[in-house]
Amino acid sequence: MFEQTLTATTSLAGFERQNADVSLSEITDFALVSMAIPLGGRTALQNEMTVKFGANFPECGKSTVSTDGGTRFLGMQRDQTFALFKFQGDDAVSEIAKALGETAYYTDQSDSWAMLRISGPRARNTLERICPLDLHQDVFALGAVARTMMEHLAVIILRTDKDAFLLMSPRSSASSFLHTLETTIKHVL
Amino acid sequence: MTQANRINGGLIDRSRPLEFRFNGQRLTGFTGDTLASALVANSQRVVARSFKYHRPRGIFSAGSEEPNALVQLRNGAHQEPNTRATVVELFDGLEATSQNHRGPLAFDLMAINDVISPFLTAGFYYKTFMWPKAFWEKVYEPIIRASAGLGRLSGDEDPDCYDKGFLHCDVLIIGAGPAGIAAALAAGRAGARVILADEDFLMGGRLNAETFEVERQSGTDWAAKSVAELCSLANVRLLTRTTVYGAFDHGIYGAVERMTDHLPASNRNPRQVLWRIYSKRAVLCAGATERSIAFGNNDRPGVMLAGSVRAYVNRWGVAPGKRIAVFTNNDDGWRTALDLSAKGIEIAAVIDVRNQPAPFELPDATIETGGRVVNASGRKGLNSLQLTNGQIIHADCLAVSGGWSPNVQLTCHQRGKPIWRDDIAAFGPGKDLPVGMVVAGAANGSMTLAAALREGHEAGNAAAIATGYEPTVSLVANADGEPSGVLAFWHVGESKARAWLDLQNDVTVKDLKIAQTEGLYSVEHLKRYTTLGMATDQGKTANVPALAIMAELLGKSIPETGTTIFRPPYTPVPIGAFGGRSRGKHFRPTRLAPSHGWAEEQGAIFVETGMWLRAQWFPRSGETHWRQSVDREVAQTRSSVGVCDVTTLGKIDIQGKDAAAFLNKIYANGFAKLPVGKTRYGLMLREDGIAMDDGTTARLSEHHFVMTTTTANAVEVFRHMEFCRQCLWPGLDVHLISVTEQWAQFAVAGPNSRALLRKIVDADFDISNEAFPFMACGEVKICGGIPGRLFRISFSGELAYEIAVPARYGDALIRALMEAGSEYDVVAYGTEALGVMRIEKGHAAGNELTGQTTARDLGMARMVSKKKDCIGSTLSERPELNREDGLALVGFFPVNRDDELMAGAHFVKQDNAATLENDEGWMTSVAYSPSHGHSIGLGFIKQGADRTGEVLTAVDMVRDKSVNVEIVSPHFIDPEGERLRV
Repeated sequence: MFEQTLTATTSLAGFERQNADVSLSEITDFALVSMAIPLGGRTALQNEMTVKFGANFPECGKSTVSTDGGTRFLGMQRDQTFALFKFQGDDAVSEIAKALGETAYYTDQSDSWAMLRISGPRARNTLERICPLDLHQDVFALGAVARTMMEHLAVIILRTDKDAFLLMSPRSSASSFLHTLETTIKHVL
Repeated sequence: MTQANRINGGLIDRSRPLEFRFNGQRLTGFTGDTLASALVANSQRVVARSFKYHRPRGIFSAGSEEPNALVQLRNGAHQEPNTRATVVELFDGLEATSQNHRGPLAFDLMAINDVISPFLTAGFYYKTFMWPKAFWEKVYEPIIRASAGLGRLSGDEDPDCYDKGFLHCDVLIIGAGPAGIAAALAAGRAGARVILADEDFLMGGRLNAETFEVERQSGTDWAAKSVAELCSLANVRLLTRTTVYGAFDHGIYGAVERMTDHLPASNRNPRQVLWRIYSKRAVLCAGATERSIAFGNNDRPGVMLAGSVRAYVNRWGVAPGKRIAVFTNNDDGWRTALDLSAKGIEIAAVIDVRNQPAPFELPDATIETGGRVVNASGRKGLNSLQLTNGQIIHADCLAVSGGWSPNVQLTCHQRGKPIWRDDIAAFGPGKDLPVGMVVAGAANGSMTLAAALREGHEAGNAAAIATGYEPTVSLVANADGEPSGVLAFWHVGESKARAWLDLQNDVTVKDLKIAQTEGLYSVEHLKRYTTLGMATDQGKTANVPALAIMAELLGKSIPETGTTIFRPPYTPVPIGAFGGRSRGKHFRPTRLAPSHGWAEEQGAIFVETGMWLRAQWFPRSGETHWRQSVDREVAQTRSSVGVCDVTTLGKIDIQGKDAAAFLNKIYANGFAKLPVGKTRYGLMLREDGIAMDDGTTARLSEHHFVMTTTTANAVEVFRHMEFCRQCLWPGLDVHLISVTEQWAQFAVAGPNSRALLRKIVDADFDISNEAFPFMACGEVKICGGIPGRLFRISFSGELAYEIAVPARYGDALIRALMEAGSEYDVVAYGTEALGVMRIEKGHAAGNELTGQTTARDLGMARMVSKKKDCIGSTLSERPELNREDGLALVGFFPVNRDDELMAGAHFVKQDNAATLENDEGWMTSVAYSPSHGHSIGLGFIKQGADRTGEVLTAVDMVRDKSVNVEIVSPHFIDPEGERLRV
């Protein structure tokens, strides 16, 4: 019998670049699960989220966090949220489904997106070269989330701190996205 | 030369001298100089040759309106032509050369054009080069092309890099003169997010060029202090060296920031950044541009705009002449005489066209009110002037002021029309401004400093209120009002010599008269016929006088005559800045399949399919032709087993209680009754009944499906389905999400595919033919518990599967499949072999699903279920789509088996001429079939399968080749599908 286990690879081989002005690193230990509200099931899901996570179903463009701080729900659409939580296993859907049961339709998105954290006092200066959104903290506050485009690539952006953002872009074009970010940092610094 | 014209004062740093070269000559200037001010300091009077007549030309202005002093900057690949010396910030080692001359600048051979100028007036080339006709292409055009243009591009690739970006603000203030600074102070102090942009490297605008006082200090000091305060405000962003070049929709402005143009080298930093500025309000404080008065030989080097002469003296501490005369139609011209006189420069005369007492006293100068300059002498530099009364005045510089025109360009970028104002003898902003824009200061026609400060302050406060801020209680900065009277006077009619209007394009008053004589009454026609107002300066100093003269000629008023339309950009923007960083292979992103790294290791040849890079074939040592590799991959797959990365196919996760009902409406064929654990081929139509896309959809559970689409249509199909879900059937419980990126998917095809997969799929899962038959699907575990999905589907026509794992395992899975398959001599195959096998099987793909073909054309008419409704069902019944002699997909063999078939060839009956009327259809896909040992093809032909056995000619007029072909079944292998089911 052929015996081989499969070894997982991340989108960007754990890329990391630390700098006093702008740092960039791949996030490899988080899972992402899409949750869609069944027709007429908003209240049921909300109730379950309140009980199990102590979190509201997020408005589009905002995010909510579970009481234990471990799970963030990103408001992607009126009836869809992405649950973002620390998890490296293969079955992220079960992690959420065991709490919320059949109150939502789940789809694993963990491997769909390369995740990068960009941070530092010049992170916003860097992003203004590629991100069409206004990232001023009065406009794009802590926890704000948006789908946007950067250099022709789809990106989900989440503000995780005053000077830190989580960027998610499709896995297949992750190397192009990283090149974009590295070029931008070089241009700005 | 040692800066002979340098005088005291100015905003230059004399402790930081700079060395530069002009036409190879080593010169010096100071930090704070422009190239123009440094050339003036070094007494360089002739700096360029004019466009058409190659007349010697000197520096005319001190800003971005400069029509004359265009130079070539830098050298080698960095060479940049047509750069205005008046806006080039001097740096150490700057190299500039003059342009548009043959031979040295001082002796231009092309100056012969000036002698023959009577033959070169407006429209001369329209009239002159008419005959002989044959001369146009070979003789005239090359000569005109060689003579046209000013500077020269290096011809090399631009070695600099550029960038772009997005800025957001409450209030964008365009121009940092007195009005702009006052507006920024008001809005900034109120707390609004302000961007203040100015094209100059020193903010302050005219305050830096004048001797005005603001708040009992010099205007320059007030500007510097105000800018320092703005710098200290976190909500204000100052952009110097930044030109706002266009006003676009919804308060979006285009701006170009010159990041390194003032440095000797860019050091790989972006040279310029193109900003898209999103504003809620904009205050246009772009100031005004002075214009000249047309008189004989008014283009002589030394004839300059009066305000610019003042700027050179006050801001840069250089005197454009030793003995300077002033010719004006307004009060402002007098200020030049006053400022120069205060600096000890000799004023030869002040000639004011107005018959009124002098507004200022100048005891030592000749004052000629009601006087006019009729001619200027001194070919390579002005030496004297002649007045209408015959008086000769010796002067080496003439400061001319024909009044000031508000810079209204940006107010017109959305078709706004400027309005003529008699009080300032110029056009002011019209009523239809771009959304959110207000205009303040000289740009608004308010020509005094006090008015500019007041309007700027008020506009800044109003913009702050409009964007939700409370203005602070601050007063308008105080300044005295200065006289600003003007008489509309454009042209000294007594001048016999040519009088220039547009210096850049060599357009004279005479050219306008010719145009008018020839019936070109519209200003737009006038512009095209004479070239007035074209090129880098866009007629900034020429348009208004020319319009005024045109109005005179037509006997109309100026408002009746109208203006040409201002369009972006305000000043030239390099194409490189528009391109930004999107160059070469970074023009667009690249998508890589999960097995890409492995395929690279195998030496795969890749092909671009959309943004994807896919392995096309995998050459092995000894293979010298791609066909050898592809034939081997096909043969080995058909005889044993092959693996192909098919991750690029679109994958859509579909969930919901109504998912089956939804799919039943999306697909032409039925999906309502697809059992759990089964996959079905599906064809979807567009609303117009034309085939849109095909693929397979698997039912993983009662309410959970996963669809595949073609690679090319993945996005389009998803968008279509979201539209249907959200807009057509919002009552259905169904959700869609793309999982294309989530799953790495491989086709495993060939008689040994099951044997191979038995080594990969965990033993708990029975994949025998009985337990997992053709079209089965299921969630499985592989390689010891890793989640996967298995589909028994086949594109190749063999016993085949597609196996999917989370993308993180894609690289590991291809390696595992190849290793596990080694005992079966497994082969990796690329898109070419994939294509060959699908053609052999007769499967339609992109070449057949062209967006013009129907299910019927594709031989799938019966799939359009009439038992239910679906998108496209009704319109697929249109008579034209169901003609008796309609197209149908069939197969083709070359009659002579050695012939190679050509995709794109059209079919005509043998012996018929290859004409449109005789066209019977076309070849869509061809391949060399290793299974048959010759070329095969798929194609559409009228009446299709009914004509099996008929021989036609496939005519390829592009490649000039004709081949006789026989119509056969499109299923070249295993027509009964037995191999699929074993």
